[in-house]
Amino acid sequence: MGEFTSGFFMGNSATNGRVLVVDDEADVRKVVRMTLQKAGYDVLEAENGEKAIETINAGENRLLLDVLICDIRMPKINGVEAIAYFRANYPRVPVIVLTGFPDADMATSMLRQGVVDYLVKPVEGEKLRESVARAMEQRELAHL
Amino acid sequence: MYQVTDGTVAPKLAPTKVAILGAGRGGTALLDLLHLIPSIEIVGISDRDPGAPGLARAKNLRIPVIGRIEDLVYNDGIHLIMDVTGDPEVERFIQLRKRPETEMLSGSAARVLWELVRHEANLQAELFHAEKLAGIGSFAAGIAHDINNPLQLIMGLAENLAEEKDLDAVHEQAREIVEAVRRTSAISRDLTQYARKTSARDETIVPLNNRFDEALKIARYAVSFHDISVRKQYDDGAVARGNPDEVLHMLVNMITNAVQAMKQDGGILTLTTEHCSDGAMLRICDTGCGMPAAVLDKIFDPFFTTKETGKGTGLGLYNVKTIVAKMRGNIRVESHVDRGTTFTIAFPPATEDQP
Repeated sequence: MGEFTSGFFMGNSATNGRVLVVDDEADVRKVVRMTLQKAGYDVLEAENGEKAIETINAGENRLLLDVLICDIRMPKINGVEAIAYFRANYPRVPVIVLTGFPDADMATSMLRQGVVDYLVKPVEGEKLRESVARAMEQRELAHL
Repeated sequence: MYQVTDGTVAPKLAPTKVAILGAGRGGTALLDLLHLIPSIEIVGISDRDPGAPGLARAKNLRIPVIGRIEDLVYNDGIHLIMDVTGDPEVERFIQLRKRPETEMLSGSAARVLWELVRHEANLQAELFHAEKLAGIGSFAAGIAHDINNPLQLIMGLAENLAEEKDLDAVHEQAREIVEAVRRTSAISRDLTQYARKTSARDETIVPLNNRFDEALKIARYAVSFHDISVRKQYDDGAVARGNPDEVLHMLVNMITNAVQAMKQDGGILTLTTEHCSDGAMLRICDTGCGMPAAVLDKIFDPFFTTKETGKGTGLGLYNVKTIVAKMRGNIRVESHVDRGTTFTIAFPPATEDQP
């Protein structure tokens, strides 16, 4: 699996970056999209881990994905499995967990796997945008 | 294929034939306990007051109600007369008129016995409740998921409304918020209803399809239904006589087990109800891991569990068996390793409350 370069470095100047939101709840995807679009991000959606992996491997997305926001409790491939896949195959894409169930053990395990932030729903828009902005910085630093 | 029919062993000896005199609280408590014991046959119950509560209960349990106390006392073949009337005249009458081979229990001995029976019934109710509450502990993840997702929607929409200029969008999003709040409040309503302690006497006609649907709602908090497809094969009019809260508790237990048996690869959960003149039947069928004979032999034993330490009380199916017995039903299980398990419960025809 080839590593891909950042939208930022590809000169994707129309947006601040491309974010993939993985959550089985359409309502959650909708408000995350609303929140991030206001901050100038381009937002892709996937309803489970399987769809997320399809999405990232499809066409140009793999070249342009900057940040992954992922739920844990989902059908098909769940968040834990999806995140393991992304960390193994796309280690330079920062991952933010957005979960409905705060679990200290899970948070520790996720942060060890290189997840950059562990957010618990309901998260305020400002906090989510800050988290994505920090993830974008890490993404850029990783390329230097 | 292994098959087990509940855990009780059929009596090898002829049952002990018992008559109950007095159908007040004492007689009713005795009925409730003794009819569950396979080695005891209640040949009849009688009370001078035709409105005594135990008589209606006996009719529902298909136990003969004898109009005159005398007819029950003269009856031959009775091993034991239990007199819980508390009436010294009745006691003297039995002593004079009972057949010599019939034993009798009356006065303070009978009173001590029914106090023990009542104590036993309270213990059983406590056990049901404790096991249910222990199960609710595992609902935390499901509840958090179902509350925090709509809260995220509400948060996002409310933040957006603060800046939204399009009036149509404002109206639409306000409606969505109201809807999300309704969904969220339904969670606490369902769960507080489920968690309440059931009163032992709340027996009524229980619609089985409705109980299955309610149990599915509750079980979704306990276990993840991801990759599980639910098929309902409902027969309209399938009813059983029992306590609706206990039936719900029993079905939540069984659906939770079925889904847990399929957690590895997902599968199909089939819920079936049927009814005919002989009564009603319900079936819970999964395509999960199944159980070997050694496990199947023990599943109705108290404190037997295949779950990790701290994950199961070992009282789920034991309580299911007790509830089925209280409803005078029987439970059967068939299991194939790696192919799945089917529990079938048959209930006798449900009768309306006798006046």
